[in-house]
Amino acid sequence: MKSYLLASLTVLLACCFVGSVFAADSDAGEVETLIFPEKKYKPMAVNNGGTISGVVKFEGDVPEMKKLEITKDQKVCGAEEKFDESLVVGEGNALKNTIVYLIDVSEGKDFDKKTKLEIDQKGCRFEPHVQIIPLDTRLTMLNSDRVNHNVHIFSVINTPVNKQQTKNRKKMPLAAVKKAEGPVPMKCDIHGWMSAWVAYVPHPYFAVTNEKGEFTLEDVPAGEYKLGYWHEACGTNNEAPAAVTVEAGGTVTQDFTLKLK
Amino acid sequence: MRIRTTALLLTFLGILVVFNFAHTQNAPEASEKGKEVYEDSCAHCHGVEGRGDGSAAENLLPKPRDFTRGLYKIRSTEAGQLPTDQDLFDIITDGMPGSSMPPWDTALSANDRWEVVAYIKTFYDGFKESENPPKQITLAGKIPYAEQSVETGKDLYVELGCVECHGNVGRGDGTSAPTLEDSWGFQTWPANLTQGWNYRGGADTEDIFKRFIGGIAGSPMPAFEGDSFLNFGLTTEESKRLIELENKDEMTEAEEEESGKFYEKMDAAVDIALTIKEGGEVSAADIQTYNDAMKVVYEKSWHLANYVKSLMPAKRPEPAIGNNVLRSQYVQDALPPIDDAAWETFEAKYFPLVGQVVIEPRQFNPTIDGVHVRSFYNDTEVAFLFIWDDRTQTTGDETDETTGKPLEDALAVQFPVKVPQGPTAPKPYFLWGGRLPVYLWHWKASAPEQVTEFTAKGINNAEVQEAQGELKAQGIYTDGQYKLWVKRALKTDDKKDLQLEPGVFVPIAFSAWDGANGDVDTKRVITSWYTFVLEPVPSSKRFIYPPLIALLSVGFLFGLRAFVQRKNSENA
Repeated sequence: MKSYLLASLTVLLACCFVGSVFAADSDAGEVETLIFPEKKYKPMAVNNGGTISGVVKFEGDVPEMKKLEITKDQKVCGAEEKFDESLVVGEGNALKNTIVYLIDVSEGKDFDKKTKLEIDQKGCRFEPHVQIIPLDTRLTMLNSDRVNHNVHIFSVINTPVNKQQTKNRKKMPLAAVKKAEGPVPMKCDIHGWMSAWVAYVPHPYFAVTNEKGEFTLEDVPAGEYKLGYWHEACGTNNEAPAAVTVEAGGTVTQDFTLKLK
Repeated sequence: MRIRTTALLLTFLGILVVFNFAHTQNAPEASEKGKEVYEDSCAHCHGVEGRGDGSAAENLLPKPRDFTRGLYKIRSTEAGQLPTDQDLFDIITDGMPGSSMPPWDTALSANDRWEVVAYIKTFYDGFKESENPPKQITLAGKIPYAEQSVETGKDLYVELGCVECHGNVGRGDGTSAPTLEDSWGFQTWPANLTQGWNYRGGADTEDIFKRFIGGIAGSPMPAFEGDSFLNFGLTTEESKRLIELENKDEMTEAEEEESGKFYEKMDAAVDIALTIKEGGEVSAADIQTYNDAMKVVYEKSWHLANYVKSLMPAKRPEPAIGNNVLRSQYVQDALPPIDDAAWETFEAKYFPLVGQVVIEPRQFNPTIDGVHVRSFYNDTEVAFLFIWDDRTQTTGDETDETTGKPLEDALAVQFPVKVPQGPTAPKPYFLWGGRLPVYLWHWKASAPEQVTEFTAKGINNAEVQEAQGELKAQGIYTDGQYKLWVKRALKTDDKKDLQLEPGVFVPIAFSAWDGANGDVDTKRVITSWYTFVLEPVPSSKRFIYPPLIALLSVGFLFGLRAFVQRKNSENA
C-alpha cells in the first residue's frame, strides 16, 4: 500500500513540476439547451387553434459532410457510407434536424399519445438523429442490426442511461423521465461514431425540421409567443427568440436562417 | 478458562458491532475543516471547485473525478443511484488501483476523511435533493466459485457483449476499446480483466458483481441491471431455448409462435420493471413476476462475476527482485521454439513497468503493466520468451503529432556492455546508460521477426550497432497479448555485445512502448535494473569423475590386497 502512495505522490509531484493550467474540455464543448416554461404546463382542449410553420435555412458555405470511420462490425455497419450528421443541409440550403418550439407556453393541447416514440439503430446509425420525448413517456430503442449496441444517454438533470441492447433485443423501452431537459447527446460506446440527440419536453409544441427544413406547430391557442430554435451545430436563438402572434384558426409563417456557431 | 472464552466472545461481538457500524456510517455535516483538508490534499487534482480540473489534472488519465455531476464509478448502489457516504469514504481510504488516486489511509485521519466526504458532497446538489438513501445492491444469494458457475459465466460474457470492449479473454482488447470515451469526452480504456490488481474498486467477486449490476457511472461501462438484462423475465431454461431458436436459420411456424410467446413474456416483465423504476403502481402479482425475473438476473450475474474472477491469477505476480531473479534454465539440446510446451513448465518472472517521467516527453499514463520473462540456454545459445499485455496492436501506420515518428508497439531489453565485477561495482545509468554504455535488443511490432542491436550512452543517445549479430526473433500478437521469442549466441565476436557465461549475474532492464497510447521515444514504460543469470548446472562431469575415482580406488585397493596377499604367500 505504501509503495502505491509513494508512486502516486511521485507522479503527482512530477505533474505539478510540469504544471500547466488545465482547461477542461467539457467547458469548450458545452451545448446550448432549450428553454422550458417555468410554470407547469396545463393540457386543455384547443378549439380553433392557429398554426405556426416555416422553413429553416442554412447560411454560409456548406462544409462537406465528414465521412465517418467505421471501425468494427463492417458487415452490418459498413455496408453503406456514413456521414457526420451534425450539419445536414439539403436542397436550397434547407437545414434538417433543427428543433423549433414555443418557449413561453403555459397551456394548450395535450401530447398525441398515439405517436410511437422510437429511435432505431440501423446499420449502426441512429434514426432519427434528433428525437423529442414528452415527459413521463417511454422511448423505445429498436435494434435492427443483429449486433450488440449500448444506449448511452448523457443526461445531467435526469439520471443518465447506459444500457446494453444485445443483438437479439429488437425492442428496448427506456424508463420515462420526469424533468424537462436537453437536448442531450445519445451515443453507442460500442460503435463510437453513432450519435443522436434527445430532448425531454414538458409540452407538445416542439417540431424537428425535415430534410426540406420545414416545421409545423399545430393547434396553438391564439396569443403572442416567443419562438425558439436549437441546432446542434448552429446553436440557439435563446438570446433573441422570434416573436409570433397566432390568430385563432390562422397560419403564421416564421422562417429562420442559421449560421454555424 | 470460561472467563477467557467469554472475553473472546465479547471481543468478537464488539468487532462485529464496529464492523457493522462502520458499514452504515454517514458523513458529518459539511464543515470548514472538510474544506481545509480538501483544498490541502485533494484540490491539486480535483480542483478547488471539484470540477476535476486541478493543476495536476492535465497529465492524468484516467482524469481526476469531476464531482459536480454526481457520477461516481465505484459504488455499492444500484444503477443511476448516488454512492453511499461509506462508498466515498472507502475510495478515499483505499485509493483507486491503476489510477493516480492514492490511498489516504495513512496520510489523513479517519476523521479528516469523513470531513472530506461531507465536503465533496457539497459539489453536487443531488446529494441534498435526494430524500431517500441510495438503494444498495443486495449481495445475498452469492453463488460460490465453482467450475460450472465459471462456465455459465463465460457464455454470458459472450452473450451480453462484454467481448466488445473487454476482448475474447478479457485483456481489455475488444474491438471497441480504442474508441471509448468517458462522459467528459476523455479517452478511457476498458479494464484488462486479467489484471485484478488494477481494478479501481477491488477485484473481490462481490466488487465485480457490484460494478456489473450498478455500472461504472461516467464511463462507457453499462449497468446490467434488471430490465436491460439478456432475456429479462425468462427463466434460465426459457432463455436458453430462445437463444437456440434464434440461432436457427429458419424457424417453423410453431417455433415462431414459441419465440413470440417468450417475447411477450419478456415485454410484460420489462413493463413491470420500468413501472417500478418510474414510481408507478404495480400489483402484488407484478411484484412477484419482477422478483422472479430479478432472481435470475442476480444468479446469472454471480456466474459472470465468478467467470471474471477466474480470468485473473490468484495473486498479483511478485516483481523479480531479491532472490527472485530471472534464471535461464539449461537444456542440453536445441532451445525450445516460441510455441513449445517447455515454456509452460515453470513460472515466468514478472517485471512491472512504470511510466518514464524523468525525461521529456514523459509517460504519466502507462497502459502496459509489466512483462513476463522466461529463458532457456544450452552450451552455445540463449533464448528468451517475453510476454506482455497490450490492448491494441499498433504497427506504425499512424504518426506522433509532435515528433512525426511512427507510433508502434515495441520492446527493448537492456544489458550493460560489460558486466559489473562484484555487487558494489557501478552499473550503467538505468535510462539507457551514460558514462557506462548499455547493450540493447530492440524489437518493433512492424518487423516482428527482427531484433536490432544498439549501443547506448543515454536515453537519447542510442546507436544501431554496425555489426548486427545473428539474433533470431519471432513476435506474435493474439487477444491483447504479445509473445516475443529471441535467441542469440552466448558468445559473439563483437566487442560491443554482452558476452554471457553461466553463473555470472547480469543486470537486465526493459522498456516497452504502446503505440496506441502515444508511446514514442522517451515516452514509454520502463523498469530499473533487475538481475539475470544463466543458472549454472552442476557439471555433468560429476557423473564421470567421482565414479571413475571410486572405481580406480577400489581397483587400487583390490590390487594392493592381491599384491600383499601374493607377498605374504611368497614369504610363507
